[in-house]
Amino acid sequence: MSANLDGLFDQFKYWYEKRHDYARDWKARTGGRIAATMCTYTPEEILIAAGMLPVRVLGAHEPQNVTEPHIFGMFCPFCRDSLAQGLLGRYDYADGVTLTQSCIQYRQTFTSWREHVPTVKWDYYLPMPNEVQSRFARTLQYAEVKKFRSFMEGVIDKPITDDDLNRALSVVNENRRLLRELFEYRKETNPRVNGVEALYASLTAQFVDKAEHNAELKRVLSELPKRKQDRPEGVRFMTIGSENDDVSFMAMVESVGSTIVIDDQCSGTRYFWNEARLQDDPIAAIADRYCERPACPTKDYPLHTRYDHVLKLAKDYNARAAVFLQQKFCDPHEGDYPDLKEHLEQNGIPTLFLEFDITNPLGPFRIRIEAFLETLSEEELF
Amino acid sequence: MTAGEKKEYWRWEESCWTDDSKNWRDAKIITAGIDVGSVSSQAVVCVDGELYGYNSMRTGNSSPDSATNALKGVLEKSGMTLTDITYVIGTGYGRVNVPFAHKAITEIACHARGANYMGGNSIRTILDMGGQDCKAIHCDEKGKVTNFLMNDKCAAGTGRGMEVIADLMQIPIAELGARSFDVDEEPQAVSSTCVVFAKSEALGLLKAGYSKNKVIAAYCQAMAERVVSLIERIGVEDKFFITGGIAKNTGVVRRIEKLLGTKAAETKYDSQIAGALGAALFGYTLMQKQGAAAAKAAA
Repeated sequence: MSANLDGLFDQFKYWYEKRHDYARDWKARTGGRIAATMCTYTPEEILIAAGMLPVRVLGAHEPQNVTEPHIFGMFCPFCRDSLAQGLLGRYDYADGVTLTQSCIQYRQTFTSWREHVPTVKWDYYLPMPNEVQSRFARTLQYAEVKKFRSFMEGVIDKPITDDDLNRALSVVNENRRLLRELFEYRKETNPRVNGVEALYASLTAQFVDKAEHNAELKRVLSELPKRKQDRPEGVRFMTIGSENDDVSFMAMVESVGSTIVIDDQCSGTRYFWNEARLQDDPIAAIADRYCERPACPTKDYPLHTRYDHVLKLAKDYNARAAVFLQQKFCDPHEGDYPDLKEHLEQNGIPTLFLEFDITNPLGPFRIRIEAFLETLSEEELF
Repeated sequence: MTAGEKKEYWRWEESCWTDDSKNWRDAKIITAGIDVGSVSSQAVVCVDGELYGYNSMRTGNSSPDSATNALKGVLEKSGMTLTDITYVIGTGYGRVNVPFAHKAITEIACHARGANYMGGNSIRTILDMGGQDCKAIHCDEKGKVTNFLMNDKCAAGTGRGMEVIADLMQIPIAELGARSFDVDEEPQAVSSTCVVFAKSEALGLLKAGYSKNKVIAAYCQAMAERVVSLIERIGVEDKFFITGGIAKNTGVVRRIEKLLGTKAAETKYDSQIAGALGAALFGYTLMQKQGAAAAKAAA
């Protein structure tokens, strides 16, 4: 298995596996409210400034039969799985739900959530511009983040001050900085942090209290210089796609002769890669940050900025090859795939395409991963 | 057949063969490849990098037993023992469960290498039509995989589907290909190659007056269309070669050729042994290189 046996990342793993228990416990001990968030374009700073815990809705990778009346079967598995979790009452601790505009499939998940998850007391749709490259985008985004602040003030029935926002910016920026520090270790030859561990860290940041997450990141970062790596590196892989929290898939990949060294996914780097640039006006700092972050395909036109960004990540982290983890029916990512594949391959990064569903067949995926590894090496066989 | 005895129309012929013109006792390096697939298992033995013998049989409910039984056939026929074999490579779904294997390699790499041996080094595109999956593979002149695609989770349009149709039509599986051409006019493909749906659709066609041969033709056509859509995604570069059990079904093969506009390369070998053969050949190359390295170190 790819995981180290020293237990350094066990807290992140525990949080990931017991995320609902964590949220309920947080609510009980702090008396705070919880906002279920969809899409990593959600400006969490506003929710944190309002004293809330933002909890990103994730799937469970289990067969389910509850979403058919609410969402098309040909919408992406992540959207369907996320909706299923709401309908099954797994997020019954969430007081409200919010979505920032990304793709139309996610929006259907959000719409069904707010209509059919009875525990939801408030909902907010933030219509962030998709064309973030437009000269009007920042102005619109500023106005929308400001409106979101006003809405949340109504929910908590008290003002959210600039000081509240600056404190939230500070703790979220620190989280981003610490995750970047952690990911720096993945640049090493035979890195001290493997892909599964990095995934646990970046995913839990999306639903654990940032101050607690920061404290744990600092503890891990203080231990890492002493850590001895006890596994062979194998081929260095990058993963590319939308959301991926399929830990068993990642562990399988790292158990057959590879290390996942970097990603371009919203469950990973796209969530935390850039900090907000602090400005006099915290709303402007928040609004700009989300326009400037590494783009999801839904917000990457007319220029395709992510192609060079992905290639740079691959080069910076010395990835030998890239694996596309395509959520079935995810049109934005599938639309980017042919050109991004070509861009990477023309620059010496071979690619493999895997299509993800709510549950994934590890056996056939393992054959594909191993066969891909064989195309990259096994020269001694010829 | 007595009353009440059920005939197994799906049952394809198991085979065991050794090349009696070769004396394995003279060989420097004997290697074996064991392909434990979802439906069939094969053992291939190579002597000095040349095919010596093989055994092809149905996979049982235990991968280790299937591997052992497959190899046992060749050993018994040749008088060889396991200790005579220098190196064994496991491949197929059960590749990591071959108890006596020194190494496991995916069937994708092994089929490409096997096809390179069986069809020559001009083979560039391989279609492996197995029991429960289908793979389109590109390789170079050495038989090294350069690109590949597999069908998704569903086993539709694979060997198992053909077995179900054989049972349903009560026609021995080996006769399906020839029967599919014995029709008054070529029918449209059945709309689904899903084993379950195709079965009910086939029954519907029979009730609608289709002859058995015409139903088989419709299923062969559907299977061909499905694999052609897979292989077209990867691109067909000549020469083109088909491995796996379905390669023996002319009804599917001729229809694939028609859809692709190219002929599949012919071979004198059994198409089902390609994976195990590739594994045995990899074993030979590894042993050669290890021997060369040892000789160099000793010098």
